[in-house]
Amino acid sequence: MKILFWLVTALVLFVIVAPLAWIYLTAFKSPNDIFTTEARKLIFFKPTMENFNRLFREFPFWDNFVNTAIISVSSTVVVMVIASFAAYSFARWNTGKGHLLFTTISTRMFPGVVAAIPFFVMYRNLGLLDTRFGLALLHIYFNVSFATFLLYGFFKEIPVELEQAAMVDGYSRVDIFRKIVLPLVRPGLAVTAVFCLVWSWNEFLFSFLFTRVAARPVTVLISSFWGSIEVQYGPMAAGAAIVILPTLVAAWFMQRYIIRGLTFGAVKG
Amino acid sequence: MAEVRLENVVKMYGKKVAIRGVSFTCREGEFFSILGPTGAGKTTILKMIAGIEPVTSGNIYFNGKVVNDLPPQERNVSMAFETYNLYPHMTVYDNIAFPLRAPRWRLKLTPQEEKKRVEEIATFLGIEKLLDRLPQNLSGGQKQRVSLARALVRRAEVYLLDEPIAHLDAKLKFSTQTLLKEFAQRYGSTIIYVTHDFREALALSDRMVVLRRGRVEQEGTPEEIYYYPKTDFVGRLVGDPPMNLIDGELVSQNGAFFFRKGEDFTLLLEGALAEKANSAAQEENGRRVVRLGIRPEHIRLGGAKSSENAFRLPIYAVIHESESSVVTFRLKDNTFLYVRTIGFCKYGRGEEVWLEFDPQRMFFYRKTVEAAKEGSLER
Repeated sequence: MKILFWLVTALVLFVIVAPLAWIYLTAFKSPNDIFTTEARKLIFFKPTMENFNRLFREFPFWDNFVNTAIISVSSTVVVMVIASFAAYSFARWNTGKGHLLFTTISTRMFPGVVAAIPFFVMYRNLGLLDTRFGLALLHIYFNVSFATFLLYGFFKEIPVELEQAAMVDGYSRVDIFRKIVLPLVRPGLAVTAVFCLVWSWNEFLFSFLFTRVAARPVTVLISSFWGSIEVQYGPMAAGAAIVILPTLVAAWFMQRYIIRGLTFGAVKG
Repeated sequence: MAEVRLENVVKMYGKKVAIRGVSFTCREGEFFSILGPTGAGKTTILKMIAGIEPVTSGNIYFNGKVVNDLPPQERNVSMAFETYNLYPHMTVYDNIAFPLRAPRWRLKLTPQEEKKRVEEIATFLGIEKLLDRLPQNLSGGQKQRVSLARALVRRAEVYLLDEPIAHLDAKLKFSTQTLLKEFAQRYGSTIIYVTHDFREALALSDRMVVLRRGRVEQEGTPEEIYYYPKTDFVGRLVGDPPMNLIDGELVSQNGAFFFRKGEDFTLLLEGALAEKANSAAQEENGRRVVRLGIRPEHIRLGGAKSSENAFRLPIYAVIHESESSVVTFRLKDNTFLYVRTIGFCKYGRGEEVWLEFDPQRMFFYRKTVEAAKEGSLER
C-alpha cells in the first residue's frame, strides 16, 4: 500500500515537474545543447545566459511583461471589488431570486471564442483593440462571473446569525461587512483573487485576438517564437521561465489559504 | 429600561404561520419568561422584539412607541443567542467588548474603562481566565457564558436571553441562575427570557407566558402558572412529574355529579367543582367526557379510608428521590397516575393504598393534548 502511494505520488510529481524542469533547463542551454541528441546533455551542459540576453535585446519582452502585469493586476482588483459585493448580495439577500446569479454564471458556460467575434467588432468600433484597457475589460468580464460564483459559496458559509448578532450589538451594515464578514471571508477572497490573477496572467486566446503591438501580453510574445519556419526554443524557454515565476510564487504563498479556502466550511468552527 | 408590549403579533414564513396573534406585556424592570416546547415560536418572538425578524402583522411597542420598523441598531436591545453566535475571528475579550465599541451607543470608552467593564462581567460569570482564547477553543458551556457576557456587558433597554443557560452543567446552571437574578436586581433591567425548561422559568421570572404553537396559552406569575394552570397543556408542560390528566366521564345521579374513571374510581363532585366540571365537559358518543387535572403532590396516600371520595389502588412503582418519593399507579386504560409524597415512601410495589384528591387542587379541562400513555415519551 505504502509503495503504491509513493509510486503514484512520484508519477504525479513527475508529470507536474517534468515540463517545468524542461523549461528551466532549456532556458539556460546554448542552441547546440538544445538540439543535441546526446542524452547526457539533457541535464549536464554548460549553462549560458545567451537566451535571456537575446530575449531582452531582440524582443520587447519587458514591455509585454509589464502589459501582462498591468492587465492582470488591474482587472483582478476591479473583479474583486465587483464580485465581492455581488456575491454578498446574492448570498445574503438572494438578489434576483437565483436568476441573476445564474445569468452571471452562464457567461462562463459557452466557449469564450464564441463571444470573440461580436466583441471584436464592438472593440474595433470603439477603438479598444490593442489597448490594455480593452483587454483588461475583457478579463474583467470573464473573471467577474467566475469570482462571483466562487465568492458566493464563501459568503454563504458565513452564518447570517453572526450578522444579526452584530446588528443587535449596534453596528451598521457597512461596519458589519467590514468587521465581521470580510475578516471571515478573507481566505475565500485570497483564493478567488489568486485564481483570477493566474487566469488573467495566463490568458492567451483573447490576448492573441485583441492585441497586436502596444498592449500585447507576454503570453502572446512567447507563442510568437513558434514560427512557421522554425521554433526558437531558447528565447521561448527563457521567456516562459520568467513568466511562470510570479504564478509559482503566488501559488506557493497562497498555498495554505487555498487549501483552507477549498475546504472552508467542511468542519464548522 | 423599557416596557415591552406585543399586540396581536403574527409571523408568517411564506404560507406557514409561526406566530398566531401573540399579545403580552413585559413591564419595565421585569424578569419575564417565555416558556414553551420546541417549535412553539419562542425564538421567533425574541427575534421580532430584537428587530432581526420583521413582524407580519400586529405591533411591538417599547415604552408605548411602535418599533415595528426600527432596525435592531435603533432598538437598543441586547441579545444572547441560543446558538451563541460568537464572532469566530475574535478573542473572547474582543467578543465581549464588541457591543461596547459600537459607534451607535456613543460610549467612547477608553481602553482602560473598556477593560474594566469586560473583566467585570467576565469575572461575574466566571470566564475571566478565557479572555485570550478564540471561540473555537471553548467548550459549549464556556461559549454559552461568553455569549451571555456579551449580552450583559452593555446597559440596554431590554435584555433578550434565548436559552442562555441550557447548555451549562447542572451546578453551573444553578449558580448562573443566581447571577442572573442578581444582575436583574442590581440594574433593574427588563429581561425577556426564553426557555423550554419550566424549572428555569418558575425559578427566575416575575411573570411569564406559556407558548403553544405560536399562541399564548397562559400568562401569569410562576405561582399562577404552576398552581392554577389554565389548560391541560400548561399543566402537563410545567411540573415533573407533570400534572396528572385523567380522562373520565361526568355522570349525574339524583342531582349530584360524579366524575367516573372507568372501573378505577368515582368521585363525588360538590359545589364549585361540579360547576367547573360541567362547564368543561364535552359530548362524546352520547357521554359527557371531561379531563381532570391534579398535581402529584395534591394527592394524599393513606393506609385507611379517610373520606367518601377516597379510593384504593395497587402501587405500580415507587421512585425514591432525595427529599420525596414518586409513587406510580397504573389505571385500567394504561395511563399512569403519579403521586408525590414528602419524605421516604413507606409503601412498596403491589401494596394497595388509599388515595384522596385534594378538592381545592382539582381542575377540569377540555381535552387539548393527548394524555401520556404507557411507553410514550411524548411530552
